[in-house]
Amino acid sequence: MRRRRKPCPICEMSCRVIDYKDERLLSRFLTERGKIIPSRLSGMCARHQRQLSTAIKRARQIALIPFIRGYSR
Amino acid sequence: MTREYELVYIFDSTLEEPQINERLDRFHALLTCPEAPEPITAVSHWGKRTLAYSIRGKEVGYYVVVRFESRPDLLGELERAIKLDEGVLRYLVVLNEGLAPAPVETEGEEPAAPTAADDDSDDEGDDA
Repeated sequence: MRRRRKPCPICEMSCRVIDYKDERLLSRFLTERGKIIPSRLSGMCARHQRQLSTAIKRARQIALIPFIRGYSR
Repeated sequence: MTREYELVYIFDSTLEEPQINERLDRFHALLTCPEAPEPITAVSHWGKRTLAYSIRGKEVGYYVVVRFESRPDLLGELERAIKLDEGVLRYLVVLNEGLAPAPVETEGEEPAAPTAADDDSDDEGDDA
């Protein structure tokens, strides 16, 4: 039997846009290495997953979250 | 026609507050145009924060977030001026597309919060 789809965590917060400056929120959707968690694991809806990926990439550019966590030269 | 933008600066943390304000004034003067005589709508200083990774050998940066309204063709000149300034480590200009009002940032908060620090109850694993 197919599992029922998980509700989107962002829709549940009834928030429409994801802010790229909110690193607490973004870090919930990153793996421990700093990769974006796929929506099939997080249950994110397609619209929010798209917003999330843009937001995470912006946050990386302004050094709020690392490109790779635990990597140092 | 003007559009709304949001601009994040990361200044060198060795700069003093007056030097940063002087630079902000200089950059923002470039944005004034007849359609938007008061281009700047909000300026918020986040203050010094640890960077998630080092930029030009610096581990700490001074963040300033600015919202403004301007003509798109003025951005080129602004970005050129910012790039020429050695005191700016990094900047980001994005269109402000009806984003929620900027959250009140607690200054000096730990930037690199550990992954899934707050809510990891239902996110992973149970699809396997």
